[in-house]
Amino acid sequence: MIPVNIVTGFLGSGKTTLLREILSRPEFSDTAVIVNEFGEVGLDHILLEEVEEGVLLMDSGCLCCTIRSDLKDTLRDLHDRAARGDIPRFRRVVVETTGLADPAPIVSTIAAEPVIRNHYRIGNIICTVEAVAGASTLAHQAEAVKQASVADRILITKCDLSDEAGIEALEARLHALNPAAAVLRSEGHDFDADFLFAEDMGDAERRAAEVARWLERASTRPQHDHLHDSHTNSFVLTYPEPIDWTAFGVWLTALLHAHGERVLRVKGILNVRDSDTPVVIHGVQHVVHPPLHLPHWPDADRSSRIIFITRDIDEAAIRNSLSVFLSAVAPLGNGEVAA
Amino acid sequence: MCGLCGLLGVVHWTETSAHPDAFTGDARRTIRAERSHRAAIVNTALAPLRMKVKDFQASSYILSSATGRSEIVDDIQAVWGAVERLRGAPVDPLDPEWLAALPGREGAS
Repeated sequence: MIPVNIVTGFLGSGKTTLLREILSRPEFSDTAVIVNEFGEVGLDHILLEEVEEGVLLMDSGCLCCTIRSDLKDTLRDLHDRAARGDIPRFRRVVVETTGLADPAPIVSTIAAEPVIRNHYRIGNIICTVEAVAGASTLAHQAEAVKQASVADRILITKCDLSDEAGIEALEARLHALNPAAAVLRSEGHDFDADFLFAEDMGDAERRAAEVARWLERASTRPQHDHLHDSHTNSFVLTYPEPIDWTAFGVWLTALLHAHGERVLRVKGILNVRDSDTPVVIHGVQHVVHPPLHLPHWPDADRSSRIIFITRDIDEAAIRNSLSVFLSAVAPLGNGEVAA
Repeated sequence: MCGLCGLLGVVHWTETSAHPDAFTGDARRTIRAERSHRAAIVNTALAPLRMKVKDFQASSYILSSATGRSEIVDDIQAVWGAVERLRGAPVDPLDPEWLAALPGREGAS
């Protein structure tokens, strides 16, 4: 399965600089980058040749193409061309969103399309936020809040242009907005490519470390007054007792059917009945990735911890709903167990 | 990863089991028992709407309303879309009236 990373971020947030770095770095030699326009990235000095119509090969070995009619066709076409040998094979895809775009539909496209989901999987969503104007953008642009909310990694760019106090305030705000995402700094060309792009839930070796990072970040998140946004809420539900996995699944699917647009992100670790090891869930709006079993607990705490980022749904409503539903199904027990 | 995770490509995530060894190795619960338990939990959620699901040949579910309308769906996620089609409105887990009408909750404050 080829991981697809989504690079999102508001206009002027440094996405193009990040993409240009990806296209020129040798560690991305096996990557195909899908950009909105060749022109905006400025490929002239790193371009090697056009290997196929609309597909450019960089000096680094990285491929670059633009979105054709839509992302589905582009992903299918890239895979087909690589399988036929028309273009070099690639092991990672990076998709650029436009500055005003919501990244969630891209996740949905990859998760829902049967052909695509057989070849590709969702990797980390990376959001760039500019150090100087980022706070103001988050305060005034709902799209920017959405982009940061659904991200797995947030890269604060242009840190050399801001002072330390400003960056720390922005970090606190992003931490409150998206408690589970790792927030990193960049001054232009420097970033940890492996951590940004490769360390994700699809990597079985490093999955437990990623979950441990979510939980540690979520447990140290600043309080809501850092959000400056009365619409977006982030919170953690904790359940010390084991949860019935099926009941949780039924409840979450019903919640996402009715309110998926407003449940921006849900991720967490569940202590489920019948299992000594935890189950990890993560989703973006209506899309919930297949649950994963961890081989061991990432810390000493055995409680279920579920991180929500919601828009115009408050914590009490979600907490009450799940608690009431779990207690309503409790008399059903674990169901019939085979002899 | 348990035996059902990712099986056949398009298995909805709710169709996976909590138990890492479910349906493989020393399985403790049969597929039929798992699906029966799942249907019982969905029926708890549907009780306030006077609707029901039942497992159909361990491959899909039949959703039926109190008026006799019914629809076959593939998985739990699809139940909610079918409920919305049959009654004209989705189940809303955040609706206090739905929560209050769940079995065992009638009369609870």
